[in-house]
Amino acid sequence: MRTGLLALTHREVVRVLKLWSQTIAAPVVSSFLFILVFGLSLGGRIKQVDGVDYEVFIVPGLITMAMVQAAYSNNSATVFQARFDRYLNDILASPMRPWEINLGLTLGGVVRALLIALALLALAIPITGVPIHEPLVLVLAVALGLTLFASLGVVVGVYAESWDHAGFVNNIVILPLTFLGGVFYSVDLLPAPWQEISHANPIFYLVQAVRYGFLGTSDVSLWLALGVTAALAAVMVAWSSWLFRTGHKLKP
Amino acid sequence: MSVPALQLTGLTKRYDDGFLALDRFDLTVPDGEFFGLLGPNGAGKTTLISAVCNLIRVTAGDVRVFGLPHTSWEARRQVGLAEQDVNLDRFLDVEETLMFHGGYYGMSRRDARRRAREMMDVFDLRAKAGTRAPALSGGMRRRLLLARALMHEPRLVILDEPTAGVDIELRVELWRYIRRLHQAGTTILLTTHYLEEAEELCQDIALIRGGQLLARDTADELRRRFDAASLTEVYMKAMAA
Repeated sequence: MRTGLLALTHREVVRVLKLWSQTIAAPVVSSFLFILVFGLSLGGRIKQVDGVDYEVFIVPGLITMAMVQAAYSNNSATVFQARFDRYLNDILASPMRPWEINLGLTLGGVVRALLIALALLALAIPITGVPIHEPLVLVLAVALGLTLFASLGVVVGVYAESWDHAGFVNNIVILPLTFLGGVFYSVDLLPAPWQEISHANPIFYLVQAVRYGFLGTSDVSLWLALGVTAALAAVMVAWSSWLFRTGHKLKP
Repeated sequence: MSVPALQLTGLTKRYDDGFLALDRFDLTVPDGEFFGLLGPNGAGKTTLISAVCNLIRVTAGDVRVFGLPHTSWEARRQVGLAEQDVNLDRFLDVEETLMFHGGYYGMSRRDARRRAREMMDVFDLRAKAGTRAPALSGGMRRRLLLARALMHEPRLVILDEPTAGVDIELRVELWRYIRRLHQAGTTILLTTHYLEEAEELCQDIALIRGGQLLARDTADELRRRFDAASLTEVYMKAMAA
């Protein structure tokens, strides 16, 4: 039993729960408002996309958006804070293996994202009736997406020199890519060249994989969507593992 | 002869900006000794401690803790560190701080809880068990820092200026804790700017400057060698040389 890994993961979850109003409640409320405002108000005009009601169509993308932002922002904040306040030294000096430290810090964001997703599902299912057609695909897509963005959060937390750096990646990279990743629309409806450009957006593939899990339909092949997300997740895990193994940016 | 608690051979640390903090530094601290490290700011004291505790990447040289490479998991388990800065986890209360630290060092939850309560009693922190670190007074934070360093029962305790900025009462109280710890057989490596503290507590004292060892001996021997009436005079003469 890896006691160190369990202790660090527990510490990360304790942090998430102590800050619940900020870490859980706020993203659940804002995403639920998206479902209400966009789904129920625009849904009356748009009717159906890809054969499903609009308010149902947007739920998978909105849950994905909430999860990736939570996983990223949680981990970038917790790692940066631990470096900034130097209590990370207590962990770095301990007999924990580098992979345990990396995994323990990563899992905090994963747990937070899953709590948000479960809360949103509990709210969205009674209101929109969103189905879960392919539960195994959904679990796989969520696992890959969270691995990618939780690891990205750790990497940015290690490199960040200020709070602005962590916020910059979220506001300037993740948020726009998520909005342009087909959360609110099917990219098949876009004219050229926007449809082709959308295929260069990595978040587009994650949204498609999660949407397939919920609705059994997506704009691209499921295997392409899962493959791209898995490849990016592998790169990010390799990067964060390298940082903890070598001590780069963590140990002067 | 027993294995030394700490053995540094040719320890060198050059930071990325080119600053040479330690230059082929050799030092042996016997098991069970109370050892003082004195030197001005920038002398290399904190770098030395950080090297032993795996908080920096060593440029060259060898660091052994009770005969084991300092990077090994067993060596890490033997070392407890109270850093100069109060680096407590702002999200955790006193009991959680101690318990999670125990977990990082491989203690079971039950053992960590038992030891945390023991430490809270020793350091008079029981009444603040549920208080988060930022809400503690400066003195309480210092005590918690020391309690955390001792939580996993290390054989070598490294105290980096543990009494910096604390009032006389707490300083004397901390001295009492540290002395008791040493009497129980723990090796102590202490850095301090208070020369009377080093004289009061340490069996052996090393003076360092510019990443190099200038002198090392008992306080009495240092006074004799430097023909000085006090340790302060020894320090001034050594640093001016």
